[in-house]
Order: sequence, then structure tokens, then C-alpha cells
Amino acid sequence: MKKLPIAIAICAACLSAPSYAEIRINGFASIVGGKTLDDDSSLYGYDNDISFKNESVFALQLSADLQDKLSATAQIVARGENDFDAEFEWAYLTYEFTDELQLSAGKMRVPFYRYSDFLDVGYAYRWVRPPQSVYNIPFSTYEGLSLLHTSQLGDWDSTVQVIYGGYDGTIAVVSVNGDTELNDIAGINWTLSYDWFSARAAYFVADTSIAIENDTPTGVALNELEEALRNAGFVDQANNIAVDEDDGSFLALGVSIDYNNLLFDAEYTEFEVDNSALAKQTQYYTSVGYRMDEWIVHLTYENNDDKHESNRYNALPAVPPLNQGINLVLEGSKAKSNVYTIGTRYDFHPSAALKVDFSRFKDDISDTETDVIAVAVDLVF
Amino acid sequence: MKKLILAGLLSVCSFSVLADIAVIVNANNGNAIDQTEIKKIYLGKSKSFADGTKVNPVNQNGNNVADEFNDKVVGKSSSQLNAYWSKLVFTGKGTPPEKLDNDQAVIDFVSSNADSIGYIDSSKVTDSVKVIATF
Repeated sequence: MKKLPIAIAICAACLSAPSYAEIRINGFASIVGGKTLDDDSSLYGYDNDISFKNESVFALQLSADLQDKLSATAQIVARGENDFDAEFEWAYLTYEFTDELQLSAGKMRVPFYRYSDFLDVGYAYRWVRPPQSVYNIPFSTYEGLSLLHTSQLGDWDSTVQVIYGGYDGTIAVVSVNGDTELNDIAGINWTLSYDWFSARAAYFVADTSIAIENDTPTGVALNELEEALRNAGFVDQANNIAVDEDDGSFLALGVSIDYNNLLFDAEYTEFEVDNSALAKQTQYYTSVGYRMDEWIVHLTYENNDDKHESNRYNALPAVPPLNQGINLVLEGSKAKSNVYTIGTRYDFHPSAALKVDFSRFKDDISDTETDVIAVAVDLVF
Repeated sequence: MKKLILAGLLSVCSFSVLADIAVIVNANNGNAIDQTEIKKIYLGKSKSFADGTKVNPVNQNGNNVADEFNDKVVGKSSSQLNAYWSKLVFTGKGTPPEKLDNDQAVIDFVSSNADSIGYIDSSKVTDSVKVIATF
């Protein structure tokens, strides 16, 4: 008889326990097979042997609505290029002040581009991969805060996001494994949309440090030059080569149209790390598509142009060998390329799409072309 | 007898093609809601009724009524809507309305939840819910 009240008490305790938050599980996956059509060139991680691993992704998202306007979200992503090792791509808490205003804290995506927030969710866009000339910043998440404000201005929807935080990791810029630290990443991302039209602008700054390792010929050349300059007492010139606590800035402008069955997207980006060996990057793409029921056909042109301002050249006319070394490094960081992609998407199932993209990459400096073909199945569940 | 079957078949056919959609709310809900507002609610852009109550919309699960509603009211195909919601879901910015299996389940849900909104085949409307628009 005595046991019964205890049992009831335990049950009651269970029922009132906070572990009753509703947890939602969503997922997405992309299985992508691709190869280059040329013998000894590689692009987007593909070479002449077909790979089903390179761009394939599996992911699960867990979100829990805790009480009092608080929610927790985590995204676990397994990428083929990392041998499908599962990693926490996102993990953050969100507090909803009002319907219009929410604050998130944790590990999140930096909203560099229009498709940044769902970069890995192939199902959300028409290409196998977003245009890589533009979508080329070698990291995509940060740890910090994000304040999101949505509002309606007449018939227009406005979304303003302000972020602050940092990034600490290893990225491939010049050398393969450069320890990178971005401090005080701060910026704003504003999107205005009206039914079939949307425009966005984003601007970010960060205190940027990237260690250049001696694991590529360019890396070795850079480090040797920097050391030679430093040893000769040209500290300013050496600092202008190193990427050490330099001001980085990123600007993006974009428009997107989905009118009747006509699709149009364009994005323009500029990325610069002042006083460093990294060239200023200017990129854009324009893409048109046409929807016929469950089919979309599309054509995209991308362009990338990386170069230093001309006033960076001939920084040391008094010391010809070092002057030439600086010029060579600046010249070596130049890049100029374009890509044409033609592709199709077929929504063969309410939550799955089949895509085929053919891309031709042209490097204007080496005057070489590389073709890549990729077939993808993207799903959401 | 044959004619009756034929008539029955015809009515079934025309019924599945021409079904009107009734958008319903709880009988005690006094808010005025037009098509633009309904669309905003079903795209997650509007989260509250005019009186400030949080809105709790429900969808139907991949049936003709859902297709008809998506086409007439929201103006998107189910694939487009899936892509739209995947953008919100995987960025933590929104959750699509819960999906119920049929008209009766929607009526039951809407009649017992004061903050709810749903849509059904207009011929299935009962007194337990309030119709705010027909498409």
C-alpha cells in the first residue's frame, strides 16, 4: 500500500521533468558522383576517376523547443571528403524576444552569401554546387552571436542579421594547412524580398591572421621572402607579406528572381586582407534558369579576378633583388578564371531531386580548360 | 442502374478536380484574415493573428486537398514548398506547419485548438469550425 504513493510521486516527477522538450529531427543528404573529362587536371576535388565520395554529404539536424522562447539546434554533418566522419557543423541556442527579434549564440554559419545558410542542403538550390568562383571562402562557420530581425515594410519582407564572433581553425590559403585565427568578426547581412524578387547586401570585417606553412612552393617562397625582408631590416615590407593581424573585409551584393517560371540569380563579392600577400578578390556570377513543372534547366557564368593594387608593386626600388621578390609574390597571387555551367534539376519525388551539371573552368593565366561533370541526388527528410 | 453508376463516377471525377478549399479557424476566433495573411501564415512569415495570439497552422499530408491549397492560395508546387521550407528549417529560422492526414483530422484539430488554422475540402465543413475564406 505504501509503495503506491511513491510510484505516483515518481511518475509525477517524471511528468514534470524538463526533459519533455519536443525534439525534432530533420535531415538532408546529397549523393554526388563526378569526374573531370581531362586526364591530368582536377577541379572541385574531382580528377579523371569517378568519385561518389568527394561532394557527398549526410546530415541530421536536431532541434529542441525548450520552454520560454528558448530553443536549441545542432546540425551533425558527415562529408565524403572527410571520410564521412560526423562533425557538429552547427550548435546554437536561440532566444526569441518577439516574433520579429531573436538572438542566437553558439557555432553558426557566417552569412557570406545568399545560399550560405543552406550551403550543404543541395535540395534548396538548383545547381549540384553553388557557383564556386563566388562561394570560395575556405571556412563557413564561426562561434559567436547572431541577432536576427525580421519585419514587413508594406509588401516587402526585410531580414537584418548582425553577427559578432570569431573563427579558429586550419584552412587552405596559399599553404595547405595554415593555422587561422579570425578575431572580432563583425558584420551585417540585409535581405529585402518581395514575392518573386529579393536583394541582399552583406558586409563583414575581421582581424585576420593566417600562418603560411612551407607545404607548397608558394608557401616556401613567401616565407623565404618575408624572412629576407625582416633580416634586412625592412619590417614594414615584411609585414605587408605576412597575414598577421591584418584587416580583412568582405562585401557581397546579390539579387534573386523567381518570376513565373523564370529564375535569375546574380551575386557579386569582394574580399580583401589589407597589407598582406593575399590579392584582392573580385568575383561574380549570373545564372538563369527556366522551370517546366518538375524540371529546371539552367545556365551559369562565373568570373574570378584576384590581383593586387598597382601601388603595391616596386615597394623597394633601392634593393632590386628584394624589390623583384616582392613583385614576384604579388604577381604570383594573381588569379583570373571563368566558369560556364549548364545543368538540369528534376524533382522526381516531393522531397528528392536529381541533378546533372556540366562545368567548364577556364584559367586565363595558364590558359587551360578543365571540364567537370557531376550527377547528384539531393534529399530532405 | 447503369446510369446511376455512371453519374456516380462522373461526380467522383469532377469532385476530385473541382473541390473548393475552405480555410477554417476555431469557432471562437474573431480575427479577420484575408488571402495575403493566410499565405503569410503558411509561409511562416506571419506568426500571430491580428489580436496577438500565436497562430498554430496545420497542413494536410500530400493529398489532393493539400495540392489544391498550395496551388490556389500559396501559389507554389509541393516541391517548391519543400525547397522553401528546407531553407528555413535548416537555418533554424522556421518550422513548417504540422501535417494531418485528412479533412476530419483537421476539423478535429481546429475545433479543439483556439489558436489554430487549417484548410479542408469545402463540402466537408461542419458547424464545429468557422470558415474564413473559400478558394
